[in-house]
Amino acid sequence: MDRESTLENGGVSRRTLLAGAATGLTVATSGCVRQVRSVVNRDTVDHLSVSIATVPADGDRESVQIANLLADNLETVGIDASVNLLAEEEFLRAILVNHDFDLYVGRHPGGTDPDFLYETLHSVYADEPGWQNPFGFTSMTFDDLLERQRVLEGDRRRDVIERIADSVAAEQPFVPVCVPDENRLVREDRFDDWDDHLATRLGYLGLEPLDGDGELRGIITDVRPTQNLNPLSVEYRNRGTIVNFVYDSLGTVAGDEVRPWLASSWEWNGSAATVTIRDDVQWHDGEPLTAADVRFTYRLLEDTSLGDSDVPAPSPRYRGQSSIVDSNAIEVHDERTLTIPMTGSQNVRERAFTVPILPKHVWTERTGGATVPGLPVEQATTTAVVAENVPPIGSGPFQFVDRTGRESILLERFDEHFSRADDELPEATVERFRVAVHPGSPSAIEAIESGSADVTISTLEAYSVDEVTESESVRLLESSSQMFYHVGFNVRNAPFSNPYFRRVVARLLDKERIVDELFGGHASPVATPLAGEWVPDDLEWDGDDPSVPFFGADGQLDESAARTAFEEAGFRYDDDGKLLARY
Amino acid sequence: MLVRVLLQLTVVVAVMTAVSTAAVVGRDRLSKTRREYRDRLKSAAPITGILAISLLFNSVAREIVPDLSWMIGWEVTEAFYNIEGGFVLWVQSYATPVATTYFSFVYIYGYVFLLVFPVVAYFALSDTRPLRELLTAYTLNYTLGLLCYVLVIAYGPRNMIPELAEALLYDTYPQYQHLTRQVNRNTNVFPSLHTSLSATVAMFAYRTRDVYPKWMLAAIFLAVSVAVSTMYLAIHWTIDVLAGLVLAYVSITLAERFVGRWSASDLIEEWPLVKRFAERWESLRR
Repeated sequence: MDRESTLENGGVSRRTLLAGAATGLTVATSGCVRQVRSVVNRDTVDHLSVSIATVPADGDRESVQIANLLADNLETVGIDASVNLLAEEEFLRAILVNHDFDLYVGRHPGGTDPDFLYETLHSVYADEPGWQNPFGFTSMTFDDLLERQRVLEGDRRRDVIERIADSVAAEQPFVPVCVPDENRLVREDRFDDWDDHLATRLGYLGLEPLDGDGELRGIITDVRPTQNLNPLSVEYRNRGTIVNFVYDSLGTVAGDEVRPWLASSWEWNGSAATVTIRDDVQWHDGEPLTAADVRFTYRLLEDTSLGDSDVPAPSPRYRGQSSIVDSNAIEVHDERTLTIPMTGSQNVRERAFTVPILPKHVWTERTGGATVPGLPVEQATTTAVVAENVPPIGSGPFQFVDRTGRESILLERFDEHFSRADDELPEATVERFRVAVHPGSPSAIEAIESGSADVTISTLEAYSVDEVTESESVRLLESSSQMFYHVGFNVRNAPFSNPYFRRVVARLLDKERIVDELFGGHASPVATPLAGEWVPDDLEWDGDDPSVPFFGADGQLDESAARTAFEEAGFRYDDDGKLLARY
Repeated sequence: MLVRVLLQLTVVVAVMTAVSTAAVVGRDRLSKTRREYRDRLKSAAPITGILAISLLFNSVAREIVPDLSWMIGWEVTEAFYNIEGGFVLWVQSYATPVATTYFSFVYIYGYVFLLVFPVVAYFALSDTRPLRELLTAYTLNYTLGLLCYVLVIAYGPRNMIPELAEALLYDTYPQYQHLTRQVNRNTNVFPSLHTSLSATVAMFAYRTRDVYPKWMLAAIFLAVSVAVSTMYLAIHWTIDVLAGLVLAYVSITLAERFVGRWSASDLIEEWPLVKRFAERWESLRR
């Protein structure tokens, strides 16, 4: 009995013990596992590692140098940085079309009127290909300001633009670095009157030939125009100087104003323009150019599929200009007149006249989707934006004759062009215009100095400008520049979505030293993308950036100041001194 | 500009080749060549034809290689820079104006001479095997090199770190860029064909040292100069040069096998169509 009871007791006590132990274990482990879960399910925070996209030194020696400087300074402050070299058209495709980048260093085409910031930063363009908002920057406050500057005039507009400039400087969606001097070399013994801006078509019209030879020989240092002459292709165009010889626009930029060109005049009726096209204008293939072509062009820029595609496919170029026009409400009155309803103040509206007018009979066939058998193609890719467009059929003062890939383009005067009949307008004075590709500025300079070319259409690279020997017949021409070097952030992704982070990165750039050392002084450091009279007083360059001053002095980075700034912005460093970030 | 540079190149290389032929090949071999040249031409004709075709194909392919490699290629510039760091910079740290002139000369003229002269020298030998092997190795160098160019996208040091590695050749003598861009693109740096072809020639020169002892010394010296020049002028990374050596070795080894295996006469025997063509050719010549 005792034994039994002992046994029983023992039995009970064993059971109790087991039960108790099980409960205890469960309680204990459940707490433990929950804690493990809390620990394990927290993602590890990685070292931040970024890639800086840019172009190789051939053709643009400064971009890659800025990228290398930035990469070095990022490494110094504990961010792994690599520089990714891409061919020019591949680079533009990566940043402007695919938005596949962390950071990039490149040249921005800029703009004379500050309205170019509208397409550069408006949220509505964050997903579109082209120079319109490649950063993916979105801000309701900003959009409001950008829209207001479009409609305001005079001092009220100036105030808004000043606020925009200040906000851009504060937020740094991109870091404007410097404006390079635009230097070109011309020979004056064969042609005279080099007085219009040589990035525009007017620069090559109205030249005075000094000897009988009817050929103008220009030099470019970019092979892309020999491969593609599509005015809508953003990968193959910088400012489109070459294609603008072949195409006309309603108005042409002369200095600060837009002067009637293909249009003989325009009249404002409220914000709608009634445009009269010049008499008897023809395309290079002999077809007449009519008001229908103009309407077609604006509609094509708005949607290159002309409504056929499920998703609109806006043109990657001239987007800012086309957004001013209400293309669906354009009214064609007859062959030569049409009314174009627009939005915005007059300065802004006249920008819309600078787009190239395209022939309807050629481009209608290009509104379909581009296809490559067996491969998936992005939906909004129409033939219009990817066509090589060779030969280009325009109406401009020069018509295309021939090209040799990577070597040259031959243009000839279009004798039916309206400027030939109108004494008021500068016309093509040469019969042929040969554009040769040179591998770099040193070779271009040599060609001009030796007399085998007349003008460098591409600007001289900064490092080569000091090699120029001016003489009686060789002159260095400096023109105003709107293009600027900049560092772009992909603000779609962390940590670049954080303006505090961007500001600290901006402060790693010593713009003063970049200009002195990389550009040999042939550039001006800037704190704002705006130029000339539009630069607000508080953003004038005064030896350092007024908004994002360089950490350090004399090119020497103050590492601890930069690291402290990152920490103050909420970022942390690990024991190895590497910056941690979730991205 | 291109025409002038080409003319200059042709004249200089012709003079160099003529002088070297006189000094290295000698009168006896030349007079024997005059008697035997028909047979030698005949035996070297098939591989010359293949080389010509591959060069033609190369010139066409060069137009599409960049487009192709930007679609499927592997971008390695940054990796190369990280791996080898500043070796090219170290080479450039010894830059002097004299060295720049010398290496620029070697890169353009020395290289072309190095490729042309052995063809002449080996043609002057009764045994055509070295000639056939050399031409086969050239073909392999170009073909395998092109394949690498499609698969690998790399920019040279002058494009990646212009602030450190000066583009000595093109800044000093911009006219040469007109020439080099005809035969190459700036993304085609891996491997260095300058190195691989020069090394190929030097290795052949070593093998034929009993026949042409003086040429061996000259070829090795020139080949080393060419390889150094590609780095000195910041056109290639050291990795490209090493890959060039590997390519040279592979090309020579394969060339040796191919030339032994498929002789033209076997080909004529084995392929009825070729045989008929060869017979007709013979009858036409008579």
